Parts: sequence; C-alpha cells; structure tokens
Amino acid sequence: MEAAEKNLIYLYCVTKKAPKLKGVGNLVDELYFVYHLGLYAVVSKVKESEFSEENLKKNLANLEWVKDRVTVHEEVIEGIMKNSDVVPFKFATIFSNADNLKAMMDKHLEDFKTNLRNLKNKEEWGVKIYCDIERLKGTVIHEESGILKIEKEINSSSSGKAYFLKKKKEELMKEAVNKRINEYGQESFELFKILSYEARINKLLPKEVTEKEDDMVLNSAFLVDKDKVSEFIHAVDDLKTRYNDKGLNLDCTGPWPPYNFCNLSKGKEQSG
Amino acid sequence: MDKRIKILQDEDSYLDIQKERKVTLVEVLDRVLDKGVVISGDIVISVADVDLIYLGLKVLVSSVETMERLRGAPMAGAQEEPT
Repeated sequence: MEAAEKNLIYLYCVTKKAPKLKGVGNLVDELYFVYHLGLYAVVSKVKESEFSEENLKKNLANLEWVKDRVTVHEEVIEGIMKNSDVVPFKFATIFSNADNLKAMMDKHLEDFKTNLRNLKNKEEWGVKIYCDIERLKGTVIHEESGILKIEKEINSSSSGKAYFLKKKKEELMKEAVNKRINEYGQESFELFKILSYEARINKLLPKEVTEKEDDMVLNSAFLVDKDKVSEFIHAVDDLKTRYNDKGLNLDCTGPWPPYNFCNLSKGKEQSG
Repeated sequence: MDKRIKILQDEDSYLDIQKERKVTLVEVLDRVLDKGVVISGDIVISVADVDLIYLGLKVLVSSVETMERLRGAPMAGAQEEPT
C-alpha cells in the first residue's frame, strides 16, 4: 500500500470580505479559503514534493518552475483583488497544516485589521524610471559650462595635456549626469508622493534582470486613493513628456496587489 | 505576461487597458519575490530569503549595489512616511 503524499498549505492572501474564488487563477490544485476570526485566508493545497523546504530550494533554482508558480501566485491574488481588499503574501508562504495557519491569523489579527483599514479604497501603482545615459550626456554637455570649456581646451592642447583633460572631462560628465539623475528621480518621486497616500523607493534592478537597454534610475511604488488614480496617471504622463528629450523614460504599472504597503509586526506575545 | 500596461491620455482607453492588464515577468518578480507580507514563527517552512539570487542570477546582486553607488546618496524624502 502506498502512502498518499503529504500536502502543505500555500497562502496567497488574506481578506476581510468573503473572497470570490470561482474562475480565479489557473491552478492544478483547488483554491479554497480558511475562515478564522472574521478573516479569510485564500489558500491551496500544494505537494510536499514541490514545496517542502528542501524541495522548494531546488525548485527555486529552476527558472521555468519559478516563472509558472510566480504567475499563479500573482493571478490568484489579482483575481481575489477584483472583489475584495487583500493583504498579499510573499511567494511560497507555506504552512504544514490549517492549525498553524489559524495560529498565525490569531497572532496577527490586529495587524491584519490595521492593514486592511489602511488599504481601503486604495491601489498600488508602480513607477520605474529608465535612463538612456548617452542621451542624457548629450543634454548635459550643453548645459555645463565647465565641460564645454574643457572640451575647447582639449582641441587646442598637446596630446599629453589632452589626455588629462579628457580624463577630467569624463569625471565632470559623470558627476553632472549623476546629479541630474538624482534631481530628476527626486523630483518625480516627490511629485507622485504628493498625489499618493504612501510611497516607497525600492532597490534598482540591473539591466540583466530588466532586459532593457536603458539603466533603471528609480524604482518606486505608491499607494493611491482610487479616486486619485487618474490624476496620478496623468501626472506620470505629463512628466513622461517633459523628460522625454532628456533620455528619461517613465514606466507606470498597476493596479498591483499592495505588496509594498502591508506588513505584519511580530504579533502579540504567545502565552504559555 | 508579455505586454506592459501603457499610460494613455484617454481616460476610457485607460480603463480598457486596465481590464486587460498584462505586465512583464520582471515586474511581477520584483514584487512577488521581494515584497509581500513575510511571516515567521509558527510556520514550519519559512522562506525569508527568496530573492533574485535563487534565480541563478547571483552575480546580479552586486550589479544592483554598484548601480546604487553610481546613483549616489539615497534620495531625500525616500522615507516610508504617509503623506
């Protein structure tokens, strides 16, 4: 007789309103919810052979597997989000049984309530800014008198002196470009921050990950009031037009599950 | 997962796009692996350190750091404060 493989519980998100599960996500395993203390945890059963700590580590090295599971994770949460506010969990949040899941909900009950209150009538939007550095250099050179001066000197200098002047010019250029990138990034962030309820700056992703020709110079997320979303999007659009000739490009995506705007504290102390 | 949502000036078309919203995998990974609520404690398995590192792209982490240095000091106003 063969023992059935042990199942684990995969948690996608927590809601306060009964989630509509029909047609959500493209899952092999059925999606269901665990109701506890007025909260609904949206979960599915997953196999230990895929999600036990050891097996998960192996699978995380497999890009195809990650891609499929991450897509499912996102699709499930987006599906639930259509009808209720969600507290989205990180990829591969696994419980060994429903009791442990309920214990977690118990422990973080107040946090869940606070988060859900905070998220009411709001959406997460992301703004990433990319920079074509060469194009920005082309703009900067005409605005920096110091660089223009050195350039003239280079043309009338001996090759030895020109070498050092070129070095100096590159340095000034790098400085000026960094300064601009900081200024534009800050200007954009501040502008969008005013139009949002909360704002975050996230780490930049390298080109190998973004697969873009331009460098990412700002990675930001905003929690925006639903009735301010169109204003927010127009602001991004205006800036996009203004920045276009500077080699900067704004990329706005949303609405996202509020991944950037939920957290659980350490929770209440366990007694006993 | 192959088309990025575009910002449109036209309000109605924006709503249409929103309905058929598609984004790149990178956008999703950037959030799902890095953000989202993390818990520890009662769960048997906690994967606190799922990161782009696990995608066999370990080298990239150092590139991120390099870029942050290149960008200079952290921006003012980058704090996590509600407005």
